[in-house]
Amino acid sequence: MRNWIEKQRYIIDFTISSLLRRKVKNFGLLALYTLIVFILASTMFFTYAIKKEASLILKGAPEIVVQKIVAGRHDLFPVSYIETIKNIRGVASVESRLWGYYYDSLVSANYTLLTPPSSDAAKPSAKTTVVESESGGKPAKPLYELNGAVLEPGTLIIGNGIARLRNIGKDDYMPFRAFDGKVMNFRIAGVLSSQSELVSSDLMLITGEDFRKLFGIDQSHVTDLTVAVNNPSEVEMVASKIKKHLPDARPIIRDEILRTYDSIFNWRGGMMIVIFSAAVLAFVIFAWDKASGLSAGERREIGILKAVGWETSDVIQMKFWEGAVVSLTAFFSGVILAYVHVFFTGSIVFEPALKGWSSLYPNFELTPFVNLEQLTTLFFLTVVPYTVATIVPIWRAATIDPDSAMRFTGE
Amino acid sequence: MIELVNVKKVFNAGNPSEFSALNSVNLRIAENQVTVLKGPSGSGKTTLLSIVGCMSRPSAGRVKLQGREITSLPERFLTDIRRKTFGFIFQQPNLIKGISVLDNVMLPAYPLGEKRSHLKIKAMNGLSELNIANKAASKVEWLSGGEAQRASIVRALINDPHIIIADEPTAHLDTKLSYRFMEIIEKFKAEGKTVIITSHDPLVYESSMVDRVVNLRDGQIEG
Amino acid sequence: MRNSSLFFLYLSTGVFFLGLLLMHASFSAKAQQESLGEKSALVKALKLTDLCLFTEARYTRHLSQADLNTAFQDHPLSLEHFPSGSFTQPPERIIDRP
Repeated sequence: MRNWIEKQRYIIDFTISSLLRRKVKNFGLLALYTLIVFILASTMFFTYAIKKEASLILKGAPEIVVQKIVAGRHDLFPVSYIETIKNIRGVASVESRLWGYYYDSLVSANYTLLTPPSSDAAKPSAKTTVVESESGGKPAKPLYELNGAVLEPGTLIIGNGIARLRNIGKDDYMPFRAFDGKVMNFRIAGVLSSQSELVSSDLMLITGEDFRKLFGIDQSHVTDLTVAVNNPSEVEMVASKIKKHLPDARPIIRDEILRTYDSIFNWRGGMMIVIFSAAVLAFVIFAWDKASGLSAGERREIGILKAVGWETSDVIQMKFWEGAVVSLTAFFSGVILAYVHVFFTGSIVFEPALKGWSSLYPNFELTPFVNLEQLTTLFFLTVVPYTVATIVPIWRAATIDPDSAMRFTGE
Repeated sequence: MIELVNVKKVFNAGNPSEFSALNSVNLRIAENQVTVLKGPSGSGKTTLLSIVGCMSRPSAGRVKLQGREITSLPERFLTDIRRKTFGFIFQQPNLIKGISVLDNVMLPAYPLGEKRSHLKIKAMNGLSELNIANKAASKVEWLSGGEAQRASIVRALINDPHIIIADEPTAHLDTKLSYRFMEIIEKFKAEGKTVIITSHDPLVYESSMVDRVVNLRDGQIEG
Repeated sequence: MRNSSLFFLYLSTGVFFLGLLLMHASFSAKAQQESLGEKSALVKALKLTDLCLFTEARYTRHLSQADLNTAFQDHPLSLEHFPSGSFTQPPERIIDRP
């Protein structure tokens, strides 16, 4: 056993010396190889972490969201529909939502404006209906409170991404152009935390009254509804009942929301296929280069080895280590760098791709969720094909008998 | 100690380019002697040497090493015997470029997995015996012809072989180095080793330390 | 130092670091419960339905609320918002449900 270990060490010594003889080529190869592992591993870490976070965070999303559809478009929801839904059996509570988008031409960014729901979660037993309560006077309980700052008419609580983009903070003022061209000036009452950017980066919390004034939406309409059901297992049924009673309404259930994020960054998605295919192609090219034969120098060397007493199996072991040394080094370097890249630097290399057209880009401080299965798959994808490809062309050369080797080399 | 019985070697059998390198060779090589295989090129010297040294197998006939028949041993056993019994010195030094002399010299011992410290001592001893210990760490490209030849001799000896085989060893050496080489052969003989050399260099086959000269012509032994 | 020793040293350092990072992952996952909790709380309090990933268009910002037409509503030619659009697919229900 000890002999076997020592033998492997000798073989590795020799292999590394061999590789070092052509430093530039082999370091270039190693660098490229590491880069590909880095990109693949980063992608894996990033997408898995986001999906995991989504599945955890969005568990608290509304059970059913009901939208109104007019001519295939998402339209404003009439408040009068609420009674109909309230009366459906199984519905625990119905709440209206006011939210929409505002385009800020100064920084070419889209903000999501949202009026916080005014009540806490509905109690399952009582059938309650809550509609936005505004019209003059402060509500008895503040709509939203952040570190002591209260959201009141004329103020906004903004997401950290907006604060970063516009370089504004608490007590600064921000003008908005209302639907009728009038300017509305809002004071920033507070900024949401940077830790929550994944859900709140572009949010602006606004009172219902201000929302309606800004967008010109009258009291008879809201953006959409959220519905809570008595029995979670009946969600699908309630949703279909809603659809039956209100043909132009479209319910979206929480399960669908979660599944949307399950399939985000899926390998079938356009960009991911490009990345994945490019990586596979690169691996194939590396392997092909190795497998497509030996140079005269390599052949001569194998001849010498056989002539001085190496067996075929020894030569093959040497070639195995040649492949393994490169791929193992690339794998560990690539994966470690990828981990640091995604979880310590917020995926900085991917930023241009992820940002796309948007000006507002959340701070991707992801929780490090790692999928060991994916890591293992990456290991086998990285190390095995390349190592095998290094061995394949050797077969012929390694089996030449020493006599031919001697003649060939002893010219 | 090495016995060849009716050995034939045919290359490219069945093809139009088929030719017989050895025809019915019967040979006994004695222990602790220096035997020279002499003959013009094409006479089959190298082929005979290669069969004697277990580097290839005869097409017909039998080969015995110290009474033991080795003609049809599987490759693994043959390689093992070859590694332990024979040391080869080629025409060209055939050292591997890009690695040090020391590494080159230790190379044949790698598959045996011997402890490195031991191996290194053996190698350094071998190198100092041939006066090239100071070149141990140099890359082989920096050696002169004679030094390279000596390095390849040290390599041939690393596994302490009993039988030394040399194929035209003086072909690329000048007179002075050739004499030095024969001195080394004399040393081997004194150490109890058996030496088999192929050569058409008179300096070799007319040397006083040669015990027997075997003449080859057209694949057969003369006389 | 022998080449093979160097290699094994590198390999063991690599394994060690990777192990360290994976441990970091499992510790952080616990430590970040607070941050996760904050985000979950926001989602519940504000009744949010989507992560804020791509803010350039409606159907990229609110993935789960989008439908087949939303893309077209932004522009008659429905010029794709690349690359965000290529990272995501339309919500399942649009593809599955009639």
